[in-house]
Amino acid sequence: MTGMEEFHNGSEGAFNSEEADNIVKECIESVVGGDDYSQSQVNKWTASIVERCLTQLVKSWKPYKYIVTCAVMQKTGAGLHTANSCYWDTAMDGSCTVRWENRTMNCVVSVFAVAIA
Amino acid sequence: MEETDTYHIRPNHQDKFKPAVVKECVREIVRERLSGLRYDPEEVPELSRSLADCIKDKVKSAGFDRYKLVVQVVIGEQRGQGVTMSSRCFWDADTDSYAEDVFMNVSLIRCDEGEADFSITRLTVFFFPPIGQLVLQGVSIRKLLLLRMRARRMGKSSR
Repeated sequence: MTGMEEFHNGSEGAFNSEEADNIVKECIESVVGGDDYSQSQVNKWTASIVERCLTQLVKSWKPYKYIVTCAVMQKTGAGLHTANSCYWDTAMDGSCTVRWENRTMNCVVSVFAVAIA
Repeated sequence: MEETDTYHIRPNHQDKFKPAVVKECVREIVRERLSGLRYDPEEVPELSRSLADCIKDKVKSAGFDRYKLVVQVVIGEQRGQGVTMSSRCFWDADTDSYAEDVFMNVSLIRCDEGEADFSITRLTVFFFPPIGQLVLQGVSIRKLLLLRMRARRMGKSSR
């Protein structure tokens, strides 16, 4: 049946982190592209980035569960490190982290995708 | 025949994740490892990695079988800058969840020189459901696609 074949074509195996990378970059650009860090707006920005990323990822109808996290930090010369440790199926699951910056702020978005079946 | 786990599509009530238990695990490890430390750009990459591994191992041994885990550790140096972090998840709210802990320390060693170093650590541990339950979800998506195809075909033939 064609319906079944179409569904299986999507799952070639591992998580495509390049595609996720592009989706995330596009979302960040569209939300904070030309703006400077603003204390009053930052909550709205992080929520917006995260929701957009999630919506775009889910649109591809792949059999994955997603977690998206976003950290926005004002540029003052302070350091920030993120580390992940995962217990999952290394063949099917994956993650991608995108670092973006402009003149006044740094933004780090992480996407984790865990396969369903 | 031996009973295997693969026929359990949902965790039993006692096997379900317990965010409170995990939060306590996380808090213990963090307090032990980070109290009294100062932010050092040379050491922090290794520290954050080993902290994430340590927490993952501890939670694994807490007995949440057939769960996948994702642990994220964020360590930042506070110099009066603003930091905001947010996250969203697309999962099964019945079986999946998360636990987080925020740790801030103040190093008092060099307070007299007018410097204070802070570290903020946010540890989030996400749980995912057992494998059997995931298969069921896969089937539902397929059925949904089939229904959509059928609806389209029916729509065309009725004209």
